[in-house]
Amino acid sequence: MDNKYIKDMLSQMDKELASKGMSRRDAMKLAGLSSAGFLMGGTNAQAAEEEVITKHETNDRILIIGGGLSGMSTARRLTTKLNNPDITIIEPNEFSSNYQPGQTLVGGGIWDIDEILYKRDDYLPEGVKLIKEKAIAFTPQKNYVTTDKGTKVEYDYMIVAAGLQMDFERIKGITDAGRVYSSGDNSNLLKVLGDDVCSIFTAEGAERTWEIMQKKIEEAKKASPEKPVRWIFTHPNTPIKCGGAPKKIMNLANARLKEAGVRDNVEMLFCTNGGAMFGIPEYHDAVLGQFKREGFKWNYRHNLIEVHKDRKIAVFDAKWQEKGPWDPIMHEYEVVPKHEKVEIAYDFLHISPPQMAPRELRESDVGSAAGWIPVNKETLQHFQYKNIYAIGDVAQVPMGKTGGSVRKQYKVLVDNIVAQIQGKKLPAKYAGYTVCPLITTIGTVMLAEFDWSVKPTPLFPLDPTVERWMWWLMKIHLLKPMTQIGMLQTGKA
Amino acid sequence: MQVKFELVTYDEKLDKFELDENIYILELDDEQAKTYELLKDADLHLYNWFKEADFFLNWIKEEVYPNSIGKKFAICDIDDISYRRFYFFKVTSGDIHYKYFQKLFKIIEETDWQDREDVGREILAKLLVRRKELVMELKNDTKA
Repeated sequence: MDNKYIKDMLSQMDKELASKGMSRRDAMKLAGLSSAGFLMGGTNAQAAEEEVITKHETNDRILIIGGGLSGMSTARRLTTKLNNPDITIIEPNEFSSNYQPGQTLVGGGIWDIDEILYKRDDYLPEGVKLIKEKAIAFTPQKNYVTTDKGTKVEYDYMIVAAGLQMDFERIKGITDAGRVYSSGDNSNLLKVLGDDVCSIFTAEGAERTWEIMQKKIEEAKKASPEKPVRWIFTHPNTPIKCGGAPKKIMNLANARLKEAGVRDNVEMLFCTNGGAMFGIPEYHDAVLGQFKREGFKWNYRHNLIEVHKDRKIAVFDAKWQEKGPWDPIMHEYEVVPKHEKVEIAYDFLHISPPQMAPRELRESDVGSAAGWIPVNKETLQHFQYKNIYAIGDVAQVPMGKTGGSVRKQYKVLVDNIVAQIQGKKLPAKYAGYTVCPLITTIGTVMLAEFDWSVKPTPLFPLDPTVERWMWWLMKIHLLKPMTQIGMLQTGKA
Repeated sequence: MQVKFELVTYDEKLDKFELDENIYILELDDEQAKTYELLKDADLHLYNWFKEADFFLNWIKEEVYPNSIGKKFAICDIDDISYRRFYFFKVTSGDIHYKYFQKLFKIIEETDWQDREDVGREILAKLLVRRKELVMELKNDTKA
């Protein structure tokens, strides 16, 4: 991709802005940023203090496991900080660098799948070696990994950026779908899910979601407000890529139903394992308000555990709490958790599957019982092996499984690894910032930004709980070039 | 000024705390009372002040647990200020304790996915370390 792409994107954005009587300059001013500044790092102020980079010398071998956004952007940034670095990436998947945030838009019929398919090799930084194999065994005590083809790769520093797997195996009735990555051949998954069940959590699955949604909209035309069909959207009991994604696709489906004039014929039901719409109270309130406004129904503490595809029944483990016995020492009644299986019929089922670190990592000495790579959440350095770092979905970092988090993390990681190579103290800390552009309908987005303070932390001087057309334009026109140009191609954003 | 104490004893072998059913009254002098008033809303700072104070440890050694060198104990309650959650927290404890420990241990909820049971187990794991910092031991010298 070259500058022509971004020019086209911005010109498309200009047209939309002009239709609302606004120039891009005015719109950006309103949002508190410039397009160039945004692409290269955030606000005007940040862009202005663009760093003067001093390259450091090293003969150390840096191995990166995984060629997704995290791995490739980190490699790119390392090449800007080190002279002739010896960097190797192990990644077998040709489409590992896909633009995953766009999967929701594909699932909602806004984009075609071609718009999110990035070829890994197009983003390989010059001088960086690529091994098109899969790392399957980790020997951190001796600083080497072994691939599925028996290649032994030694390193001085290792960065684990292997992403995560969608674990459909945990859901009875569709266990044959197995564990899958978001990109690559997922034909088996689609076959197992069938014609009424879908998931935007893979690229092919997103495309399939839109196909099924269109078919189901036609079926909804035959229903009535008195006898509605039911569309269910689930949220699992594990951390997931982009915690807002299950709601985004529900909102896009809602918009498509309205567009077709059949919204009243469909009961929209959100079933989440959690006990709230969002972990940040301000966003919880805002999302709940939007759910009520749109006439959505919801069940908290409902975790999908089984699907009867033949009968179109989704089975949930439903949990609640009851008052327990008196605790004479704590001077209070205990809280006793209860649960039972609940069956709910569906006509359309969108699954956000349980997600976990790849098994070979989870079960290795690099992994942990919790399932993720145990790193210091601020420095991203492994707790036990100080020459290992982890970034992105696979890292045991709370609230970190979004591209927005990676955009902050990769700078921290590179600063720290470069400092460690020079024998210095780790200087950089990740503060937990993440961003979720929560699509609320076609044309509006609530830009949920937050960090470990568990408070909204907007970069832009606007109320973050308000759904805005500006953020929609940013989501569909700017975020993609920001990752492509800003992170993957330059390592600067 | 009088301050009311409830204590727990600690069995290191079993890693277990047991409530001492007695209530002990300590008389604070004016200066100590001033410090107490300043720290009484400061949660663990109040605890640590007593833990480090010679007058408190001497009082325990001489009046509360005489002839008990080697005994390990911790403060359970000081007037209405309670630390018993540190020793007796269970997964089935009330929400107020969850909120307290989530803040203390910076346990952050991803979005809305975390089960109470998962958070409870994480709190218990962190408590294994933290509550030992509250334990005092009676020694021959003044400092416990």
